[in-house]
Amino acid sequence: MYELILILPAAALIVSIFADVLWMSYLQLAVSVLVFCAVAAIALSFNSVTVFLGGFFFADYINLVILITVSTLELFVAFYSFGYVRTEIAGGISKRKFKFYYFWKNLFVFSMMVSILSNNLGIYWTGLEATTLATALLVSFNRTKESFEATWKYVIMCSVGIAIGLFAIVILYFTTSQVYGESLRSLSFINIMQAGAKLDKNFLMLAFLLALVGFGTKVGFAPMHNWLPDAHSQGPSPVSALLSGVLLNTALLGILRFYQINGVAGIYYPRYFLIGFGFFTILVSAFSVIKQTDYKRLFAFSSMENMGIIALGFGIGGIAVIGSLLQIFFHALNKGLLFLSSGNVLAATHERRIDKIRSLSKNFPVTALVLLFGVMGISGMPPFAMFLGEIYIMTGVFRSNILLGFLVFILLVFIFIGLFGKILKMYMGNTDNEAGEELKSGKKAHKEINEGAIHPFMVYVPLILLLLSSLLLFYIPSPFLNIVKSASAEFGGRIIF
Amino acid sequence: MIMEKIAELFIILILVSVVLNVSSPFIKFAIKLYSFQSLMLAFYILMGAVHFNSINLYGSFVITVIFKVILIPYFLFKTLKKVKMDKEIDMYIGIPEAVVFAGSLTLLSNLIAQKIIKTGITFGSFVFTISLATFLIGAMLMITRKTLFSQIIGFLTIDNAIFLAANSITHGMPLLVELGVLFDLFVSILILSILILNLRRNFAV
Repeated sequence: MYELILILPAAALIVSIFADVLWMSYLQLAVSVLVFCAVAAIALSFNSVTVFLGGFFFADYINLVILITVSTLELFVAFYSFGYVRTEIAGGISKRKFKFYYFWKNLFVFSMMVSILSNNLGIYWTGLEATTLATALLVSFNRTKESFEATWKYVIMCSVGIAIGLFAIVILYFTTSQVYGESLRSLSFINIMQAGAKLDKNFLMLAFLLALVGFGTKVGFAPMHNWLPDAHSQGPSPVSALLSGVLLNTALLGILRFYQINGVAGIYYPRYFLIGFGFFTILVSAFSVIKQTDYKRLFAFSSMENMGIIALGFGIGGIAVIGSLLQIFFHALNKGLLFLSSGNVLAATHERRIDKIRSLSKNFPVTALVLLFGVMGISGMPPFAMFLGEIYIMTGVFRSNILLGFLVFILLVFIFIGLFGKILKMYMGNTDNEAGEELKSGKKAHKEINEGAIHPFMVYVPLILLLLSSLLLFYIPSPFLNIVKSASAEFGGRIIF
Repeated sequence: MIMEKIAELFIILILVSVVLNVSSPFIKFAIKLYSFQSLMLAFYILMGAVHFNSINLYGSFVITVIFKVILIPYFLFKTLKKVKMDKEIDMYIGIPEAVVFAGSLTLLSNLIAQKIIKTGITFGSFVFTISLATFLIGAMLMITRKTLFSQIIGFLTIDNAIFLAANSITHGMPLLVELGVLFDLFVSILILSILILNLRRNFAV
């Protein structure tokens, strides 16, 4: 069962080299559904840490949360891609270009799964670097100057960041090899956790700091974030959804592993670094959101903010850890729906700028509604599930430090105003003004720009995601809740319902 | 004892090649220097392999030579030929200042290494000093130079420094992990080459 999660994307990857794109999109649906079912079956029957494939891979409660997140979002993205490929091919993009779309997307998902499930930190590193490489040519998919430059920045910055992460792994390996000797066991996460208190504390601390800076580059923590908005906004929309929703969490998992090792060894001050980086990330994204003019960049900054909140929650500990784990799942769904529905607007209008798009509610009734409610959801408004995650984190923050809680709260309000004001302008607005005229007299003027131009899958997948996101506030399946509870127990979190 | 001296010679040659890289604006020369630097790293690993008689390190020597000395420089040369670039023109700080800066970074890394590593490991903290210095100078190369090729060279220098660190404080990473790391490095160089070609051909950056 566990092996299936790795084998299926790998098989799809190989088939996609030979298969026709339209045929491949059917196969992709089957593969994604099967992977989702496999993960669901594992989640339902999971009761203890399981090692498979010769000890190189394992599943525990923490990576199971991220695994569920990845497979759920991937399922929706596969359905969306089904429509996306057809719409873009009808719009005049060659089929040959899309063949590589499925190839790289499957490689991306495969390496992400390898990374998440790996027991060996060296294999985790290899998988994470492979995700950078697999997404590089997806980010530059449109072959414009901006997309090539964004890809360059993405690959160089993330490669250097992850190289620093490798330095952290080398230092950890040096520390553990004094207990286990120099073998693969010294890199095995389960064995390192067992060695625990026997490890040298100074080196563990150094390893954590290097991992935080190194993998933090890929998570998008504040001083190292400038690749993120470019790379996330330039890719095709389904890829942007995966990049923002789940890849950031995969990189965060690396930091969490080092954090856990430090916790077992009895070092408690790494949490202050997590809090510091988390808060600074929220601060920077709050000020960046306000001045954005491109709606996909706006959402990219919003994912940065959410990663900051999640890191803050893990740093605070206690009840906030539960909030962070829930937030990982809910943020992926909500960010997925935002990128997918804004992808509809982009696919039909070919316009990225906020001030060029007005009165969406008239031409795109469903998409506009999903976009508006999605922005409400991402800011943590009540009828949507992210409210739950955010309220747990904020409770934790307020309990530990009122001043910090107040600052974070003000920044969240800032972000809400920035996001909502801009999307509301796109939703309402007036087509009769100058911007609307420009849009009408543009090169696409002869064609009616509305939802009819895009495949129905593209319209309804974000809507289903929105409904799911709303439903999850009222009913979280109890197996998932149990997994989250057990995962938070590993960070010393308690649950009070 | 004599082995230790020879190993130290290889290590010093790595630092010399990095500083030479800082002092020269020619890109072709920089790629050659990188190849030379990787060869020295490989020889250092070979010395360790002979000294400890470890099969793991022999394997590490072979894959380092294949990937870092032969394959990566070969593809970089191929890309360079196609884009017809020969000299680094855009630099934030001039060459003399950069060399002085590199020297002070070496001193700084000596101070840091003395602080971190109190007991001698493998060949002593000397190797760790050099690897830290290489790391910092590689990062400096990336920051101060604007051409895309120089950024790749800086990245590769950083990577060599990490390999050197892995071989100085331990007897190298497990072979399986090392192979994965090198393969990823190789693919990332291929992708960066594709990006350079596309950027130069279509947009003349």
